[in-house]
Amino acid sequence: MTSTITPPTEAGAPEPRGRHPRKAARTTMRADLTPRQRLNRWDVKYSPYLYVAPFFVLFGLIGLFPLVYTFVVSLNDWNLLTGPGEWVGFQNFTDELQSPLFWNSLFNTFSIFLLSAVPQLIAAIVIAAVLDQNIRAKTFWRLSVILPYVVTPVAVTLIFSNIFGEKYGLINNLLTTFGADPVMWKTETLPSHLAIATMVNWRWTGYNALILLAAMQAVPRDVHEAAAIDGAGAVRRFFSVTIPSIRPTIIFVIITATIGGLQIFTEPKLFNATSSIPGGPQRQYQTTVLYLWDLAFNRQDFGKAAAVAWMLFIIVVAIGLINFWLSRRIAGVEARTSKRRTRRRLDAHAAARAEASAPTPEERA
Amino acid sequence: MKLSRRTRGAVALAGAASIALLATACSTGGDQGSDGEDITLTITTFGTQGLDGLYEQFEADHPGVTIEATNIDTGGNALTDWQTKQAAGAGLPDVQAVEEGWLSKVMQVSDSFTDLRDYGAEDLSDQWVDWKVKQATDADGRIIGYGTDIGPEGLCYNGALFEAAGLPSDREGVAALFGGEDASWEKFFEVGKAYHDKTGKAFYDQSGFVWNSMVNQLPEGYYTADGELNVEGNEELEARWALLAQGAADGLSSAQTQWDWGGGKAFTDGSFATFVCPGWMLGVVKGQVEAGGGDATTGWDFADVFPGGAANWGGAFLTVPTTSKHPKEAAELAEFLTSAQSQVASFQAAGAFPSNLEAQTDSGVTGESELTAFFNDAPIGEILGSRAVGVVAQYKGPDDSVIQEQVFGPSIQELDSGKADGPTAWQHALDLLDELVEQ
Repeated sequence: MTSTITPPTEAGAPEPRGRHPRKAARTTMRADLTPRQRLNRWDVKYSPYLYVAPFFVLFGLIGLFPLVYTFVVSLNDWNLLTGPGEWVGFQNFTDELQSPLFWNSLFNTFSIFLLSAVPQLIAAIVIAAVLDQNIRAKTFWRLSVILPYVVTPVAVTLIFSNIFGEKYGLINNLLTTFGADPVMWKTETLPSHLAIATMVNWRWTGYNALILLAAMQAVPRDVHEAAAIDGAGAVRRFFSVTIPSIRPTIIFVIITATIGGLQIFTEPKLFNATSSIPGGPQRQYQTTVLYLWDLAFNRQDFGKAAAVAWMLFIIVVAIGLINFWLSRRIAGVEARTSKRRTRRRLDAHAAARAEASAPTPEERA
Repeated sequence: MKLSRRTRGAVALAGAASIALLATACSTGGDQGSDGEDITLTITTFGTQGLDGLYEQFEADHPGVTIEATNIDTGGNALTDWQTKQAAGAGLPDVQAVEEGWLSKVMQVSDSFTDLRDYGAEDLSDQWVDWKVKQATDADGRIIGYGTDIGPEGLCYNGALFEAAGLPSDREGVAALFGGEDASWEKFFEVGKAYHDKTGKAFYDQSGFVWNSMVNQLPEGYYTADGELNVEGNEELEARWALLAQGAADGLSSAQTQWDWGGGKAFTDGSFATFVCPGWMLGVVKGQVEAGGGDATTGWDFADVFPGGAANWGGAFLTVPTTSKHPKEAAELAEFLTSAQSQVASFQAAGAFPSNLEAQTDSGVTGESELTAFFNDAPIGEILGSRAVGVVAQYKGPDDSVIQEQVFGPSIQELDSGKADGPTAWQHALDLLDELVEQ
């Protein structure tokens, strides 16, 4: 900015001592500016920061500060009610890393996450592919798919909790009608994980399907048509055209599902709301967030709860980074292989042409 | 550099603004001074304590006082609310209702509650049952709460089911069946076994409430009176645990989900025939039966007997947090809401049995009500009064609720579901005790 206003001094020209032509020039320039012009300069210089400030102010207040404060709490023997006690350094972290309950909660979290994320993603892609076809009443189907997402998780959980009731639930009633044994949905590990995963899937599959559908619609139709003309069937086109084209979106969906899945709380908390321990009588489905809530509000150990919160944070960040690295690698591999494939085909083509233009003796004979 | 300086300034500004906002939000509790001027008292209660009509009366008697009442649906949610505000050090009301179940938590921070002796608590203390006052007295002898209701335990039973099993079904007969004055847990399980042999059905809903009563009625529970942990090697507890385990093994427990009971269905389909009933539980039973599609003809009744002698479960107190700007008026309100007349009104509205001696014998308590009609015209007020005799205030240590819920909760479920036998489940509880409670 200033460089355009300040007259350029000749390079190498010695400046007479005692005189400061640059400075003098600048002061006169300053003085020449009207207040309005000065305001304009400030506007250009500073207002962009002002425009982005609200986000950073809010982030600092409700994102960064709690993060740092939680870390400080995690270094103390901090009781919820009686407040901070002794400074214990990383004792809370090492205690929790040795606690079987902490590892149990991690196992539950990952188990529920895998049981929900994998089927959910597959189902979402299939649903999106179906919605991507030329079907009647498109908007109706698309809206129906997003409907479960509109219902609050609490309501979803209450309804599913009832359906999965062990003694009076709908599913066990049906099972016993058909002569099967009732399943202990709320007091055994695998059934409870399946039940909770079902709730998560019910709520999120449609949401992910719509995101994937948007990506699918952005795939150029002529690619599909070209493939179709080349004789590729619907399945082949789905795997060779659709899926590779929406890979970035799939990765986005996986990352958001991971972050959400590792922080799952409402479903396990309310699945058996009256249980004396949040997350099942023997902590069968006590996820990590539920465990830290239990630590803080039932066992009053705020310090350890903060330590668990930080470890969970680190795990989420680590998994995010792994995802990022994987997706870059996959993208990289794809680019390399496709380049290699193209080159190979070009070479083959060239060779074929050379061969064609120079007929072999056998051919002549 | 410019960015960081500016951002810092903006953060400071926003911070100051939000603090100012918070400050104004907090001060709306009324800080117009305490002498003769208009003040607002805030009060937080939970469940159905039946106090609403009493607020209006207090306001009418005290011109210039406005009461802002908040009622939270359950005691558990009220605990979360109180804990959060206590931990944050802000937002507590002038009068806070506290439940007996979390009194041990409150006692850890008893100095953040006003000593009501400064407002005449000692002159009043004769009006309550003595152990209620003892419960509200902290280690330094400060009285931090006025008692509202208490939870003396009697036995709910289903007369129709008893009759079908060939057992006596009238209240006196049932009381005698369980041993009357000398009712013991041994006898209780014996009757249960006979009932089960005859009908093939469970006797009680689940083992959790039974264990709760078994522990609560002992002179010393999970802690000794001196505040030492008292679980490992506690023969009394272990003997009772063995009884409970045997009962579950014999099929006496219906293994219901507590506080759920299949949405009340279990109360109406004959799943179990007895239920431990503190006074306030009678309203719960009625609600569950009605939710399950039943009514008074379902057969529930209430007998003046309890295995192992007198027992108390629950009950509440009204406290005045020291953050109150008007402790004098707040104490006055708490005193008014716990007076005999108020407790009678509260009993009639919600079935909470009074801790106030005068109220206990009031005709409003001993007389008929919707609740007595539901329980086969049982004289509920009289029975509860007689069940309250002989209750002792057991010392509750700081981790009492953790031990109850998290140490024994899982083991009780193991018994009910048949996952483990008595000794194994007891050992699991001890392991959890090591893990969860600092000793």
